[in-house]
Amino acid sequence: MLESFEAIVDALPYLLGGVPVTVAAVLGGMALGLIIGVPLAVAQVYGHPLLGRLAGVYVWYFRGTPILVLLFMFYFGLFPLMELNVNALTATAIVLGLASGAYQSQIFRGSILSLSGGQFRAASAVGMSDGQAIRNIILPQALRLSLPGWSNEFSILLKDSALAYVLGALDIMARTHFVASRTYEHLALYALAALLYFLLTWAGVRSLRALEQKVAIRGYGTT
Amino acid sequence: MLKKIAAIAAGVAVVATMNSQAVAKTLINGIDANFPPFAYVDKSGKPSGFDVDAVDWIAKKMGFEVTHQPVAWEGIIPNLVAKKIDFICSGMTITAERAKIVNFTTPYWEHRNQFVAKKDSSITEQKILTGGITLGVQQGTSELKWLQKTMKEKGWNFKFRMYDSAPMAVEDVLNGRIEAAAMNDAPAKDAVEKKPVKIVAAFGDVDAYGCATRKADTDLKKKLDDGYIALRKDPYWKELLNKYEP
Repeated sequence: MLESFEAIVDALPYLLGGVPVTVAAVLGGMALGLIIGVPLAVAQVYGHPLLGRLAGVYVWYFRGTPILVLLFMFYFGLFPLMELNVNALTATAIVLGLASGAYQSQIFRGSILSLSGGQFRAASAVGMSDGQAIRNIILPQALRLSLPGWSNEFSILLKDSALAYVLGALDIMARTHFVASRTYEHLALYALAALLYFLLTWAGVRSLRALEQKVAIRGYGTT
Repeated sequence: MLKKIAAIAAGVAVVATMNSQAVAKTLINGIDANFPPFAYVDKSGKPSGFDVDAVDWIAKKMGFEVTHQPVAWEGIIPNLVAKKIDFICSGMTITAERAKIVNFTTPYWEHRNQFVAKKDSSITEQKILTGGITLGVQQGTSELKWLQKTMKEKGWNFKFRMYDSAPMAVEDVLNGRIEAAAMNDAPAKDAVEKKPVKIVAAFGDVDAYGCATRKADTDLKKKLDDGYIALRKDPYWKELLNKYEP
């Protein structure tokens, strides 16, 4: 019992060193996912049917392939083939971002579709082009409505970031594994890692909740 | 508002992932995260071990900076070739197959391989080789390759179970999931000292460890070779032997 406690105390600084790595992977993934997800959603709802079809293929592919498979495929296969020398963390963030983009696009698509079609027609009626209508009327509302789903995606991505371990990035999971293998204190150390992930999830979701409340419009739609 | 957040997040992500590769002078030694006593990550996360300390000494002597990075063993040579690490000093066995892809320094340590089982087990070498048991081995190791090859030649009968380190295989021996584990004699000795296991028998040829460098890095190989020659003459070598008792 005492050795477990000692193992936790000894390993804690090292594990905490993995937090910036995990956070970087998650933020990178969420950001890239956002940049990919919004255009995909708009393409699927408002775009030319062919464009929408292409977007659909992207979504179908990245939702249909396990992230673990994608990580190995990109890091050991595609990137060396393209002579792209990225480190494990960057590769993880990129792959997470590509996959998350597919999921996020569906969150945004759902929010866009939930808006009344009359808004787009009204925008056209006052002379806005399609692009202006999407940018100024539809997206601000849709993104606001997407926040709950987006915060869900964030917590999923935070857990998926633990896969960075298989590429060799020194995130929380990798560090826990090294020390646990060395000290044989698996239960104690993985429980500690779980606690760290929980705290990160909690902090992130709380922040997004605060953001939701900040951008909510009292009395309009769903508050 | 959200656009601003997205931009900031993207900015943070770019900066955060702009990880530095081997910055000019600092060379990266790829090590096994759990191969005591030659290379391992200790309980506070610091790379330690016979090879780690030896390399630190050699780096100081030969005038270069070095950091140690734990890498999954079965991917360590691809990582070296892809320039994600600069050399490997981590109890790596010199084999003809590996020497096709990398250069090795002159051998600095001889070793054999051992089978390890629970202390109160009555298993024999015969049973391990022909009894259809499950044998745990670390992935990417020379002893795994040797066993796979010799198994076919001699018609042995057992199943492999792969682990990412020898100590993890030992743990499963203790958990009763496998009957025996195969590893180099150094981690076997380390396991016997720490856990209720025993060495059943030795197997394989007498092999040697060497440091691996890329084919093109001939001057790094020379630096390491010269470094080891100097280290062996220095009293620090004795200190390391006493400290780690490999």
